[in-house]
Amino acid sequence: MVQCDFKIINQLGLHARPAALIAQTAGNYKSAIYLTKDSVRVDAKSIMGVMMLAAEHGATLHFTAEGPDEKEAAAAIKALFENKFNEEF
Amino acid sequence: MLVLKGIAASPGVAIGPAILLPSESFALSRQYISQNEIPAETQKFQEAMQHTLAELDACEHKVLGTLGSEYANLMSTHKLILQDPAFGSAILHKIQHERLSAQAAILFTLQELADSFNKIEDPFFKERRNDLFDVGKRLANNLTGSKDNFLASIQRPSLLVAHNLYPSDTINLQENQILGFCTDVGGKTSHTALLAQSLNLPAVVGLSTASKDVHAGDTLIIDGENGLLVINPDKYTLSNYRKIQRDLKKTEALLKTINHLPVITQDGHPVKLLVNFDPRTDNKANKHLITDGLGLLRTEFIFMGTPVPPSEDEQYHVYLAAAKRFDMRPVTIRLADLGADKKPDFPLDEFDQDENPFMGCRGIRLLLKNPELLRTQLRAIVRTACEVPAQLGIMIPMVSSVEEVRHVRRAFDEILAQFTAEGKRPVNKIALGAMIEVPSAAIALDGMIGELDFISIGTNDLIQYLMAVDRVNQEVAHLYDPCHPAVARTLNLIIQTAHKRGKKVSICGEIASDTKMLPLLLGLNIDALSVTPRMFLRVKNNIRLSHFEHCSDLAQAALLMGSSEEIRKLIEQNNEHENP
Repeated sequence: MVQCDFKIINQLGLHARPAALIAQTAGNYKSAIYLTKDSVRVDAKSIMGVMMLAAEHGATLHFTAEGPDEKEAAAAIKALFENKFNEEF
Repeated sequence: MLVLKGIAASPGVAIGPAILLPSESFALSRQYISQNEIPAETQKFQEAMQHTLAELDACEHKVLGTLGSEYANLMSTHKLILQDPAFGSAILHKIQHERLSAQAAILFTLQELADSFNKIEDPFFKERRNDLFDVGKRLANNLTGSKDNFLASIQRPSLLVAHNLYPSDTINLQENQILGFCTDVGGKTSHTALLAQSLNLPAVVGLSTASKDVHAGDTLIIDGENGLLVINPDKYTLSNYRKIQRDLKKTEALLKTINHLPVITQDGHPVKLLVNFDPRTDNKANKHLITDGLGLLRTEFIFMGTPVPPSEDEQYHVYLAAAKRFDMRPVTIRLADLGADKKPDFPLDEFDQDENPFMGCRGIRLLLKNPELLRTQLRAIVRTACEVPAQLGIMIPMVSSVEEVRHVRRAFDEILAQFTAEGKRPVNKIALGAMIEVPSAAIALDGMIGELDFISIGTNDLIQYLMAVDRVNQEVAHLYDPCHPAVARTLNLIIQTAHKRGKKVSICGEIASDTKMLPLLLGLNIDALSVTPRMFLRVKNNIRLSHFEHCSDLAQAALLMGSSEEIRKLIEQNNEHENP
């Protein structure tokens, strides 16, 4: 199992579009992927789950992935947090 | 006759019979099915899923073509919500294990999800419920075919009255004989309002009780210019509005015909008309506009919402796309005006808590404290200029003294030298200009104009700084006054100083699209205006109807006046005279 913490650095937090990107990306992997904030744990493949975390700027999320491609999944999600959620520009 | 006052969401006037959107009669009743109905109900749900997905696909495609990528993104988010495993499996579970009907299963799942969204305290996240409901109701409707059939069943052109209208509904209105709409809820900047504007549908929102006060078949007037809904108007009001409608239509039709005509006053005085461009909301209609170029490319958006400053490469792609989009015409790129209300997420020097951010470290001040940021942006621009034969201009924001211009010029020259060393040079010379928005720069412009190739006046901030008025502060916002004598005199000073040195001046603030202020700006001998694409043809038409000589007289008179009241009266009289 891979575990790590991600800090939300973009100003608006995990609003619909970043949540969409996380769910989309997580959906590409076979592993079970979860995000946890303040003891609320959600399926990272669920856009609504991710939105429901209401993770704001500055919040820290705990990430876990377990499965055949857990390392790749962790790297991909990490890249989303680090490289801005807005893939457009 | 009853007149309701709401919020003008989208301009224009629509007259016609009322159609009421059936209130969402999703009474939460626990409709049970028998064991042997489960397969059929499951299939019904899955078919509705496929149908909805196909609809959203089509919507996304349509929106991308007409309204730009921002709205298309909204639709793709809706698709993700629909395909969310949590959503689908919860519904299936309810059908197969609780033996609820497909409709009840969808609605109860929606309700549960909405409840958990409601627990979120942050209003921004709470609002996301709307997206959820938009998708959920679309799905439920596809099960029964109620609303879509309803819109498709409308036989004659009508005005739609609804308690609330979701963005996805709005997109489909035009092809269903809807001439305009009004709603009980909503604001001017809601997605629904912005969509109505893009679709050219007159709309009034925030009417509170419209859906209760209007009965099907009532004659309605939706006045999207003034935010009014007139129910069963009397003869006089009706004929009055028919005239207004005819005039508006005439103007609309006229606007379409002037796209290819020159921007020139009645007496032959030419003005350059450019657009303020935002690549995120570019669309088909904008691409049809024949403009003199891009007058203002705000670049802050590239710097926002990212943990690290954007790389040269990232910026280069944005600038290259803009340069290609405008071909050989001028493209003015404003250096990042960060600070004040635009704080990036990555750490910066001198970016502690500002007590007074609008007077603090923003614009060029911030860039000079963070030279790497400035260099990267300049390099990305120079690289673009080496790549394509564009007429690029670099505009420095928040300049208050000539030293700042010299700093940028030096950095710019160094970067040019670096490129030359690599054997590359700009296809066309890059112009270096400044945004004049700080009063000190306006007053002492003679000292820096020699170092600048062009200047552009940012009237929004210039007026704010001239008056010492924060427009966001409700207590003083009314003091923000474009008619103040200090505004006309400062604009005059800037334009005169620049013209004496043979330099061109443009204006890129909101004032440039203000019909009433246009004669004053023309009269002060402005060379160019840069406006939002949506206002482009309207402003062009207004310029083509103006007399430069009259405008000059008006401006000279205004310069001698000592109060806002006199200037406002002068402008309004002129306006009545020109448009009786």
